[in-house]
Amino acid sequence: MNIETSDLEKAILLKVSGRMDAENAHEFEQACEPWIARGAKHLIADLDGLQYVSSMGLRSFLAVAQKLQSSSGSLILCRLNGLPRQVFELTRLIGLFPIFDSAQEALATL
Amino acid sequence: MDSEAQRLTLPASVESVAEFRNFVRSGAVAADVPEADLEKLDLVMEEILVNIARYAYIPESGVAEVLFVPEGPGKLYVEISDWGNAFNPLAVEPPDFSRGLAERSIGGLGVFLVRSLVSSIAYRREADRNILSFGFPGPDS
Repeated sequence: MNIETSDLEKAILLKVSGRMDAENAHEFEQACEPWIARGAKHLIADLDGLQYVSSMGLRSFLAVAQKLQSSSGSLILCRLNGLPRQVFELTRLIGLFPIFDSAQEALATL
Repeated sequence: MDSEAQRLTLPASVESVAEFRNFVRSGAVAADVPEADLEKLDLVMEEILVNIARYAYIPESGVAEVLFVPEGPGKLYVEISDWGNAFNPLAVEPPDFSRGLAERSIGGLGVFLVRSLVSSIAYRREADRNILSFGFPGPDS
């Protein structure tokens, strides 16, 4: 898994690609934590390059979203497709996250 | 059917998941399981094996064994065994989907995902061994 992070002022963008599994899912939380600690309210995860996510990955997304929600922020997902989208749908997590077709669309709502 | 069965035994640890996954994936490719389903098979294997790695042998350690047999074109039968504490993952309570974001936990999601992606699944305890078997791919594939 690879995570590229950039500061878009209104939100932090994390481009996640590759496979998020039991061995590396904690890296997503680790990538988000410094931004949350610095007071970032909204994080946008661009998942266009994400090929695979297991329940350990879901745990990571959920943990970050819960942290942000408790400080009135949000974890926004965009470009959730393929097997990862199916996994979010099967586990009915899909309705718990704001989901957009692009980071630009997500930014426009903030 | 056993003459075609292939087995692999490794330590029951998260670090072994990739090797087990690749082992079964090679069997799936040889059995002409559609390429598009291979990552779903990876997911099923990961969910089951991570549970064994984390919970089967607490507080000690042990091994897991994976066996697969081709079951006709495009189909695979898989058995995953451990010799840890008796545990039927199919008896785990289903996730509570009514909870909102703040209260949602991932407890039970792994088993729920596995059930969604296989054609059949069964648990049995034989002597000191837990055996979870499943058919792949599932109906949605």
